[in-house]
Amino acid sequence: MVGVRANKAHRDERFALIVLVTCSGIFVVAIALILGFLAFSGTRLFFHDHVSPFEFLFSTNWDGLGGHFGAAPFIVGSLIATGFAILVGGPLGVAIGVFFSELAPKRVADAMKPAIEVLVGIPSVVYGWLGLTVLVPLIGSIFHTGGDGLLAAGIVLSIMILPTVISLSEDALRVVPDSMREGSAALGATRWETISRVLVPSAKSGLAVAVILGIARAIGETLAVQLVLGNAPVFVTSLLRPASALTSEIVMDMGDAPDGTAFQHALFSMAFLLLLIAMGLILLIRFALRKRT
Amino acid sequence: MAQAVARVASSDTLASNNARSRRIVDRIATGSLWTAAGSVVALLVIFIGYLFYKGASVISWHFLFGYPSSANAGGGIGPEIFNSFYILILTLVFTLPIAVCAGMYLQEYAGPGRFRDLVQFSAESLATVPSIVMGLFGLLIFVQMFHWHFTALGGALTLTLLNLPAMMRVTQEALAGVPGTYREASMSLGATRWQTVVKVILPSAIGPLITGVVLVSGRIFGETAALIYTAGASVSFGKSAYDFNPFHTAETLAVHLYSTHREALVPDADAIGNGSALVLLVMVLLFNVVARVVGRQLTIRFTGKAS
Amino acid sequence: MIQTPDATSLHDKMNVVDLDVFYGNFQAIKKGNLAVPDHRVMALIGPSGCGKSTFIRALNRMHDLTPGARVEGTITLDGTDIYAPDIDPVTVRHRIGMVFQRPNPFPKSIFENVVYGPKIHGEKNAKRLLEIAEKSLRAAALWDEVKDRLNRSALDLSGGQQQRLCIARVLAVEPEVILMDEPASALDPIATSKIEDLIGELKKKYTVIIVTHSMQQAARISDFTTFFLLGELIEVGTTSDIFTRPKDKRTEDYITGRYG
Repeated sequence: MVGVRANKAHRDERFALIVLVTCSGIFVVAIALILGFLAFSGTRLFFHDHVSPFEFLFSTNWDGLGGHFGAAPFIVGSLIATGFAILVGGPLGVAIGVFFSELAPKRVADAMKPAIEVLVGIPSVVYGWLGLTVLVPLIGSIFHTGGDGLLAAGIVLSIMILPTVISLSEDALRVVPDSMREGSAALGATRWETISRVLVPSAKSGLAVAVILGIARAIGETLAVQLVLGNAPVFVTSLLRPASALTSEIVMDMGDAPDGTAFQHALFSMAFLLLLIAMGLILLIRFALRKRT
Repeated sequence: MAQAVARVASSDTLASNNARSRRIVDRIATGSLWTAAGSVVALLVIFIGYLFYKGASVISWHFLFGYPSSANAGGGIGPEIFNSFYILILTLVFTLPIAVCAGMYLQEYAGPGRFRDLVQFSAESLATVPSIVMGLFGLLIFVQMFHWHFTALGGALTLTLLNLPAMMRVTQEALAGVPGTYREASMSLGATRWQTVVKVILPSAIGPLITGVVLVSGRIFGETAALIYTAGASVSFGKSAYDFNPFHTAETLAVHLYSTHREALVPDADAIGNGSALVLLVMVLLFNVVARVVGRQLTIRFTGKAS
Repeated sequence: MIQTPDATSLHDKMNVVDLDVFYGNFQAIKKGNLAVPDHRVMALIGPSGCGKSTFIRALNRMHDLTPGARVEGTITLDGTDIYAPDIDPVTVRHRIGMVFQRPNPFPKSIFENVVYGPKIHGEKNAKRLLEIAEKSLRAAALWDEVKDRLNRSALDLSGGQQQRLCIARVLAVEPEVILMDEPASALDPIATSKIEDLIGELKKKYTVIIVTHSMQQAARISDFTTFFLLGELIEVGTTSDIFTRPKDKRTEDYITGRYG
C-alpha cells in the first residue's frame, strides 16, 4: 500500500518535472523563433530585393511605394528621441530612486509607491493621447509651430521611462550595505556627500542597468511616439519639426505595404534593426553586471 | 595643553565656514530630491485630473455599451471594451500556465546550470523585444503564415509572447518570498518536491502571485502596438459585436483610441478619444486597486498574516 | 554619579550625563554616566547585547541615522553639548571619528579612501592630499605595505589591512576622539595584534574609546575600563583596578568568567 502510494508520488514528480522543463523551454524556443523569423524577413530587402544595406542605413530618401528605402531619417529620429529621454528621464529617475532609497520616510514612500505603479500601468497609447492633446498644443503655442516633433516625443518618453529607471535605481542603491553609509557619515560627510560620493559610485553598475533598460523601453516605444511626432519621413532638421522614428514609421506604413513587396521587407528590416538594438542592450546589461562580480 | 586648545580652536573656525556651505549644499540637494519626487506625483495627479475633466462628459450608457460608428457622430465603444477583456482572458489562458510553470522550475527546481542560464537569458531577451516588433512577428506567423488574417486568437498569442517574461518574474518573486523553512519542513515530512510546491509553496505565495498577475493583466489590457497588425484595428460585423469567435478580427479599446485618431472619419473623434482614454485610465486604476485588495485578502486567508 | 578615578589630574575630553537610548519602546541604555579622560584609552567591556555598541554610537550621533532610535541626556565634548539644537551632527562626527566592527572601505582606490574625509572637508590641493594620505597611512602602520599601490582598489586588501585603512581614513580628518567598535573582532590574531599596537600609539595624539568583547584585549591596551551589563554602566575604573580589585560583585563575576 505504502509502496503504491510512493510509486504514484514518484510518477507525479517525474511528470511534473517534464511539464515544468517544457514550459521553461518555450521561452528559449520563442526567442529563437522571433530572432530567426525576423532575421529572415528583415534581410529579404537585401538578399531578395537587392537593396544595399548601405542605402538602407545611410540614405535619407524614403519612398516606400516609389522604391526608395533609406531609413536614416527614422534611425536618427529614434536615436534623438531616445537620447533626449535618457538625458532628461535618466537623471530624474535616478534622483527619485535615490529619494526612495535614502530620503523618503517610510510613510511617504508607502504613499508614493502606488503612484509610480499607476504610471507603469498607463497604456502607452494614453501617454500618446495626453501628449497629442496637451503637450503638442502647448509646445506649439510656446514656439509658434505645429507643436509635434522630436521635442514632444522626447518629453513623453522621458516620463514613460521614469518608473523603470526609478524602481531599478532604488533597488541598486538598496543593495549598497549600510556600513558604507555609516563609514561615510562617521567621517563627517553630509547625507548628500554620502549619496554623491559613496553610494552612487558604489551602485554604478546597477544604475547603469536602470538607464539601459530605460533606453530599451524608449527605443521600442511606438504609439506614444507616433501620436506626437507628426510623422514626416524626412531627415530631422529641428526638434520642433514633424519627424519620424523607426517604430512610428513601421506602424504607419505596415497597413499600406502589400505582402511580399520590397516596401514591406524594408519595414521588417526596420523591425529587425530594433530587435538587434534590444538584444545589444541585453548584452550590455550582462556586461555591466559581470564587471561587478 | 595650550597648543592643543589652539589647534582645536583654529580647526573649529576653519571647519565652521566650510561646514556652513556644505550644509547649504546638503539642504539644496535634499530639497531638489523631494521636489523631483513630488513633481512626478503631481504629474500623475494632473494626468488623471485632465483625463477626467475631458472625458467625463463623454461617458454615457450608450458610449460604454453602444456600437462604434464609421462615419457619423455618437459612436460607442462597447465591442472594443468586450474585445479588450476577451483578448486579456485568452492571453491569460496561455500565459499563466506556461509562465507559472517556468517560474516554479527556475525558482524551486533548477540548480545552477546551463539550462537555467539559457531560460533566464531567453526571458530577459524576450522581455526587451519591443511590442511593435512582437506585433510584426505575430503578423508573420499568424496572419501571413497561418492565413488567419487579423484575429483575436492571433492577438492573444502575440500578447502571450510579450507577457510571458513579466508573468514568470512575478511567479519567481512570489515564490522567493516564501521562507525556506516551509520547504524544509514539508520535505522532512517525506513530501516530494512537487507535493511541497503544490501544497505548501504555492498557497503561501498566492497573495503576491495574484497581485502580480493582476498588475500584468492591467498592462495586457492597455497593450496596443502588438495588436494593430495581429488582432486588427476594426471590429467584426457579425451578428453581434460581442463576438466570441477567436478567429474574428477584434479591435481592443487601446487600439481604438489609436485608430480613431489615425483614420476615423467621424466628426466626434476627439470626444471618442477622450472618452476611451478615460476608460483605459479607470481600468488601469481598477486593476491596481484590485491587485492590492485581492492580494492582501488571499495572503491573510492562506498564511494568516497581513503583509 | 560614577566618578573616574584619577580624574582630578586629567582633563575630561568627553562627559556623558544621564544618557538614555531607546529603540522604539526598548530602552537600550539606562541613565549612563561617564567621564572620558583626554589622551587615554577607555575600554568598554561587557557581555554581548549589554549596550556597549549602542553607547559608543551615541557618542558621535550615529543614532541620528537609525530610524526609531532616540537619545536623551547630555554628552559634552570639551564642555560643549553635542546634542544641542544648534550643533550640526556632521561637525560632531568630524571631531569624533569612528572605526567599525567590520572593515568598511569604500569601493574606491586606497588613496581615495584615505583622502575622502579631507576632500569633503574642503581640501583640494593634490600635493597636500598626498601628504595627508602618506601621514595617515604611516600613522596607521600601513604605508609600507601599500605605498606602491595607492591606486589599487581598497577591496583587494586583506581584512587586517582594510581595517588599518579605515583607521587611516579616520586619522586623515584629524579628529580629537576616535571611537572603535570591536575593531579587531573580524580579524585574525596577527592582524589583531597590529591593531592593538596601533591603538597604543594613537593615544599620544587622540582620545580613544574602544568597545571590545575580549577582556584580555581591554587589559592589554586600555588605561581605563567601563563595565556594562544590561544597558547599565556598572563600574568605571583604571584598568588595573577593574581587573584586580573590582568593587561591584557583578564586575567581579564577569571578569572571573561567570557571564557568557
